[in-house]
Amino acid sequence: MSTISLHDTHNHDSHDDHGHHKETFLTKYVFSQDHKMIAKQFLITGIIMAVIAMGLSILFRLQLAWPDTNFPILETFLGTWAEGGRIKPDFYLALVTIHGTIMVFFVLTAGLSGTFSNLLIPLQIGARDMASPFLNMLSYWFFFGACVIMMSSFFIQTGPASAGWTVYPPLSALPTAIKGSALGMTLWLISMIMFVASSLMGGINYVSTVLNMRTKGMDLWKMPLTIWAFFLTAILGILSFPVLVAGVVLLIFDRSFGTSFYLSDIVMGTQVLPNEGGSPILWQHLFWFLGHPEVYIVIMPALGISSEVISVNSRKPIFGYHAMIYSLIGITVLSFIVWGHHMFVTGMNPLLGGVFMITTLIIAVPSAVKTFNYLATLWRGNIKFTPAMLFAIGLVSFFISGGLTGIFLGNASLDINLHDTYFVVAHFHLVMGSAAIFGMLAGVYHWYPKMFGRMMSSKLGYLHFWLTFISAYLVFFPLHFLGLDGVPRRYYAFTEFEFMQKWLTVNVFVTWAAIIGALAQVAFLWNFFYNIFRGKKAPQNPWESNTLEWTTPVEHLHGNWPGEIPTVYRWPYDYSKPGSEADFIPQTVPFSQTMSSNMPHDFEGNTESERIQREWEAKNVPATEKLD
Amino acid sequence: MVHTLKEQDVKYGEELNTKPKKFILWLFVVSSTIMFGGFTSFYIVFAASKGKGHGLVLPDAFMYSSLILIGSSVCLFLAAKALKAGNIGSQKVLLWGTMVLALVFGYLQVDAWSALYHTGATLVNNNAAISLIYIVSGFHLLHIFGGLCFILNCLFGAYGKIPAAKAKYRMEIASIFWHFIDILWIYLYVFLLLNS
Repeated sequence: MSTISLHDTHNHDSHDDHGHHKETFLTKYVFSQDHKMIAKQFLITGIIMAVIAMGLSILFRLQLAWPDTNFPILETFLGTWAEGGRIKPDFYLALVTIHGTIMVFFVLTAGLSGTFSNLLIPLQIGARDMASPFLNMLSYWFFFGACVIMMSSFFIQTGPASAGWTVYPPLSALPTAIKGSALGMTLWLISMIMFVASSLMGGINYVSTVLNMRTKGMDLWKMPLTIWAFFLTAILGILSFPVLVAGVVLLIFDRSFGTSFYLSDIVMGTQVLPNEGGSPILWQHLFWFLGHPEVYIVIMPALGISSEVISVNSRKPIFGYHAMIYSLIGITVLSFIVWGHHMFVTGMNPLLGGVFMITTLIIAVPSAVKTFNYLATLWRGNIKFTPAMLFAIGLVSFFISGGLTGIFLGNASLDINLHDTYFVVAHFHLVMGSAAIFGMLAGVYHWYPKMFGRMMSSKLGYLHFWLTFISAYLVFFPLHFLGLDGVPRRYYAFTEFEFMQKWLTVNVFVTWAAIIGALAQVAFLWNFFYNIFRGKKAPQNPWESNTLEWTTPVEHLHGNWPGEIPTVYRWPYDYSKPGSEADFIPQTVPFSQTMSSNMPHDFEGNTESERIQREWEAKNVPATEKLD
Repeated sequence: MVHTLKEQDVKYGEELNTKPKKFILWLFVVSSTIMFGGFTSFYIVFAASKGKGHGLVLPDAFMYSSLILIGSSVCLFLAAKALKAGNIGSQKVLLWGTMVLALVFGYLQVDAWSALYHTGATLVNNNAAISLIYIVSGFHLLHIFGGLCFILNCLFGAYGKIPAAKAKYRMEIASIFWHFIDILWIYLYVFLLLNS
């Protein structure tokens, strides 16, 4: 085997004549095709978008808590959107719409999958890079373009889209209906098409990489649960996002060309519109056919990340590895046949509603399997409370408390009461919002040393965790009670209704909790950005973890591993294996080096290996200690 | 710290391992199919709830264009065969043939739209099923443009001097995509015929 290339990881100026491309600032940091750099681009863009979306939520929380108070400072920053220091109704609607859109799509889809699929898929399966690095780069830049276009709608006179993140027609289909249905809505749709293109390019790449580029020995059942989660998430995206494109295209035609896909019998003021024959319900079908898988696109990577983090920091194998995978597969399949539970109040045939109700409630099964497996992994573990571990446990907590209310909402008869109330807001902010963001933060704390070669401060991490965890519950838990009392979501001035006025004090409380939660993120932002430059240098395997990414050098290099890609011999969860000296055995360690800890089932029925093991045991293990 | 890279590892990142990239195209085919699935399910639900489809006799141009498109697929198949046999000359001719047939297809599609338009079945229509004919055929035409790019890529390869493995890879990519959009159109045409 001839040596044809030298790679120097410290000094980038030394090259031999073989084509190790000279990297410029543009190719290294901007139009990078290296999956690790693209992951960082996704993460930092996602963090910026998250801060923006969080800021928007504080603005509308101010309106909800103090509907009659003027905040002159708002006018200074927002101009005519907050004349006299009061947020205008139009702008309020824009705020909730863009908050939802950014959080669901830009932060928890692109920011989460984009970051960790890109970073971990090649590193954990043992590949040099993605199947198509170029497509990967394009995926980031489409995402970036989508972000810019979405944000640009804040700088136009009619303001951003305001029809809610689900942009239901006819409101969204008629540019003259409200201010937010004018140019802002067009920009929303363009941004969304670019976003879907980005997601598809990313997702297609992830699936192809996982299926085709695993290193020697890495069969599907030796993959870490993170990879399983990213893989199934990508499949969900490939199968559901195109349907959103179809829906959005028809909406664009309705808005800009005068077709009647979603429009019928509309009277605007005194003017009767010519559109006839369309049905706005069809939009809901197309939207939620994506929209429901979308919530699993959001949560599954977070679940995968916590499986890994919880197992590593409990120093125990994940409980029910196969059950975890089958649960993920179950969620993936079921997520395509439950979209109707968002539409119980559309006049749906009750029989059909019943079908959707049953499929929805069945999702509780795989979700509960996962939850119990997390708890069983923690049970009697040698738990190390790193910040990542705390956030992963936080995810489990939110997944339980938010998941339980899903059983309420999945029931058609209950949902008809609770639909569009704060109960729904509380439900999905816990189970999808908080749980997914905690999974993402767990991932950031856990793989930060891999991304930046430096450590984050644990103390700031603990401060960040406790403040965020407590304030998240203080914000979202009270909202359940508003919802049960019938307070509807998205209302600008709910105090206009007498029976809701008693909830004003609760809203003040919730807003203060939200402000504290938002301030807590400063601890994270400081911790994150400061330590990129000043953090303690990271060791190669700071968490003593088994997976392949920790076998790469701390200094990044193109192609990930110097020399040959390591071969994989075992599953990734050999923590605290009885008989082993170390409490972790990396995937790259062959069974021949761990004779004292091998179990009969490790050999998967390979009789030759079993025979060697038996011979070794006959020589080395006293008869009284033999296990079998 | 100096590391050596082995030959097989370096090649891994280059063009030689084409399987993952071909797989990417297959996944694109899947997602594109699903988008059209979205359009046609819209049609089915719409037609079922309104009790009416587009209610038109589709213009003949659609029939001719379908035949032309099948012809182009055959042409491309023969081009791939020619390349396999090492006959670059006839590969070029057949690729050009595919291009020309594709352009004729595009012309016929536009012709069909104009025929529809003149019978009063316009895009802006109170029957969304009729509007959808324009949408699906229009989006299919966009795919044809994409396919033409792949074929042009093959042609550039055939005229320029590129390694045989690369030429074969380009031909395979173009073939997968072109046969897909051929079958896709037949599906759409038959769908529109059956659900009038």
